[in-house]
Amino acid sequence: MSKVQLSQIAGIVAMLVGLMVLPNYLKYHHQDFLIFLTINILVVVSYRLMTLTGEWSLIHIVMMGVGAYTSALLSKNLGFPVWISMPMAGVGAGLIAALLCFPLFRMTQFYFLIGSFAVGEAIRLAWIFFVKPFGGSSGVSSIPPPELFAIDFMDPIPYFYLVLAVVTVCLVILYRIENSRIGLTLHAVHWKSSLSESVGVNTWKYRSLAFIVASVFVGIAGALKVHYLGNVTPHQFGVGTMVFVLIWVIVGGYNTFFGPVLGAIVLSILDESLRDLEEYRPAIYGALLIAAIMFMPKGLESVPPSIRAWFKAPATPPPG
Amino acid sequence: MELFFQSVINSFIQGGFFALWAVGLVLVFGVMGVVNFAHGELVMVGAYTVWVLHSQYGIGYIPALCIAVLLVMFIGLLMERFLFRPKQGDPLGGLINSIGVLFILQVAALVVGGTGPAKQVAPPFPGTLIIQEFLRIPNQRLFSIAVAVAALLLLWFFLTKTKLGWSLRAVALDREAAALQGININRTSMIAIGVSGALAGLAGALMAPISNIYPTMGHNVIITAFIVTIVGGIGSLSGAVLAAVLYAFLHTFVTAYFSGTIATMCGLLIMVLVLIVKPTGIMGQKVSE
Amino acid sequence: MALLEIKNVSKRFGGLAALSNVSFAVEQGEIRGLIGPNGAGKSTMFKNIAGFSQPSEGEIVFSGQTISGYRPHTIADLGIVRTFQETTLFQELTVFENALVGCHLQANTNIFSAVLGLDKHKQSRARDKALEVLEFMGLSQRIDQLASELPLGSQRSLAIAIALTSGPKLMLMDEPFAGMNPEETRQMMELTRKVNKSGVTIVLVEHDMKAVMGLCEYITVLNFGTLLTEGTPEEIRHNEAVIEAYLGGSRKH
Ligand SMILES: Nc1ncnc2c1ncn2[C@@H]1O[C@H](COP(=O)(O)OP(=O)(O)OP(=O)(O)O)[C@@H](O)[C@H]1O
Ligand SMILES: [Mg+2]
Repeated sequence: MSKVQLSQIAGIVAMLVGLMVLPNYLKYHHQDFLIFLTINILVVVSYRLMTLTGEWSLIHIVMMGVGAYTSALLSKNLGFPVWISMPMAGVGAGLIAALLCFPLFRMTQFYFLIGSFAVGEAIRLAWIFFVKPFGGSSGVSSIPPPELFAIDFMDPIPYFYLVLAVVTVCLVILYRIENSRIGLTLHAVHWKSSLSESVGVNTWKYRSLAFIVASVFVGIAGALKVHYLGNVTPHQFGVGTMVFVLIWVIVGGYNTFFGPVLGAIVLSILDESLRDLEEYRPAIYGALLIAAIMFMPKGLESVPPSIRAWFKAPATPPPG
Repeated sequence: MELFFQSVINSFIQGGFFALWAVGLVLVFGVMGVVNFAHGELVMVGAYTVWVLHSQYGIGYIPALCIAVLLVMFIGLLMERFLFRPKQGDPLGGLINSIGVLFILQVAALVVGGTGPAKQVAPPFPGTLIIQEFLRIPNQRLFSIAVAVAALLLLWFFLTKTKLGWSLRAVALDREAAALQGININRTSMIAIGVSGALAGLAGALMAPISNIYPTMGHNVIITAFIVTIVGGIGSLSGAVLAAVLYAFLHTFVTAYFSGTIATMCGLLIMVLVLIVKPTGIMGQKVSE
Repeated sequence: MALLEIKNVSKRFGGLAALSNVSFAVEQGEIRGLIGPNGAGKSTMFKNIAGFSQPSEGEIVFSGQTISGYRPHTIADLGIVRTFQETTLFQELTVFENALVGCHLQANTNIFSAVLGLDKHKQSRARDKALEVLEFMGLSQRIDQLASELPLGSQRSLAIAIALTSGPKLMLMDEPFAGMNPEETRQMMELTRKVNKSGVTIVLVEHDMKAVMGLCEYITVLNFGTLLTEGTPEEIRHNEAVIEAYLGGSRKH
């Protein structure tokens, strides 16, 4: 293991320890904020896996909803322990995604964007329409929190630890995927789809794979959210929310693994500090989005290149 | 039977609105290659303008309508000049910019109208046309559909019979070739978005007296416009109009006999089906492989 | 049995017949020339063989197996690889990564072993293969350079390297010498011969007649989508119909 990797690992461990002590010094609603922010980081990082193939989907947040509903219904209606229903949320979202691959990946680019939007809206409308079991517009409530010994997961601090642990594991997996051959192939599919095909890459399979894996992880994110909030409604997963994900990814920059994370953190903190503006906040977001696209098309990550260089994975060295 | 005939009439009126919404979206996409997500919000601004000028300040409905058209057209022009033009050749950039505008316009509506219940505008053409006992068409709706059809006919005339309209279609067909022939792309884009904005403003102004006015009313508009655009064939105006009427029938009838949610769901699924089977839409040209 | 058999293949785009009823066969180990004026249907033929588009009629047989109708990645899997008329590389990746993408077929990994690092063996084999091919194509000095930074000649070599890493039996090369100066052309011809010697059958589309005549033992001529004639370079050079086709102008001019 090289020095760079060691220092990286040390940095990450220090960050994790910092994050573990942090909530003890925060006010209640900041603890809340920290939980949602951590979940949202998983949302954007899993979305990035999708964008690696060059396709921008608008269905990601709906897949989060699929996970949320799966876990909510399994634990509340069928009495599954949350420890089982949470991973099942990932499985559920992955399965739905696998089914959707057939129609969705017959499209690319703009058609895919619009197609994914349409399919997502249709799923959301299904939640509204089928009162049994989805609870219609008002969704599902009184969803149980996880249980473990005597820990009170209604309390934000233990729940934050749970979220932190799950999200960290997920991020490590996503990072490894991106830096494996599979990640390389996803890049290849994006940049020169026909060249990839001509050397034997099944582009359909890789696009589907990225979508399914992204959905599994965002499904888990949905479960994490739903067991903290205690309720789930179709409106939490509307295209408005999807747009925020897009904004985080784009403002943060989607060229590296950590760009979207940076975007989510910076914009969420900004959003939090604008809390007093209430419903006027979207305008600030809108203006920021435009400013980012016009003046910083590569995202926040392009601003301090040194930070980026530090985070950048060591290039695949040839043996010897 | 009554419900049936009433639904037929309603379908045509709906179809007029759907066509107005979609045609503007198609025009901008065709000529500029930008998906304007804020198109629904442009319609919303048209409706709010009428609400402010007519209901709050007592200006006549027709002058308010004209101002709405001009105002939205102006907003469209601003978007073209400052947001879309610098992002030529970057469809994602243009799309994201339009999402930014969407948020800003929604908040602007909130600032102007405040929170609280949806706004309504008292119909300036009250009364109802009653035909044979069972058919009732409010005069306001008659007025709306008449103006909508007139606007679409005017657009058709403009696009097919004038030199400017011809240059618009040329750019939509093949940007490079049009530029080589000396067509000014920037000017053509401004005309496209100007017309698109005017149609959106008009649609909003016509909707104002017959529907609820609230900041996120554009959501429904954009979904419908997408469905109609895709089903009709991206870039095909006649396809959009045809699809608008067909979809209006589907939507009105499914809403009348089942529910509005199912109606929209059907629309979305049909759109996905079209995307899969014939991505160029019912009237789209066959593109080469 | 021939390695590749084209049987009565036609391809129509709307009213235009880009290929009509073309048949020919390529033997194992050949360097076959496929020539013809602009718009004759050469690239279209390649696209059909490699599965990027399907013939409207007719059949394409590779090693005794009908492959028309298969997807490109399946055909690549069977051993046919295509280089593109425009230089196509993964510009954003390094030379080494470019070659590694091509090794896809050898190191096809599943996501679990990729995450858990269980595919080390496969990966190191892919690396070895990539390095070997880069060495073979004379690119080992440039491994860490970005593909976009290479000079034209090396870019073309890399394009061929990518194709080679997938372990092809048959390589379809579309105008590999276009835009090259005589020195670059000479080097590229050397490489092409070397690739062929290593056991890869080659079909070469090229407008540079000197290169084609120098490399190929046998040449197939297309004109307006039909098979005009076939023969040795000597025969083709003196064939009236071929001279006529080239002088008589093509559709594009
Ligand atoms: N996708 C397509 N749609 C319509 N026509 C096409 C398509 N692809 C090729 N053609 C037409 O088919 C004919 C053959 O084209 P092709 O590209 O195969 O020629 P070529 O022999 O490779 O020419 P060149 O030497 O210029 O590369 C041309 O007339 C071309 O315009
Ligand atoms: Mg060609």
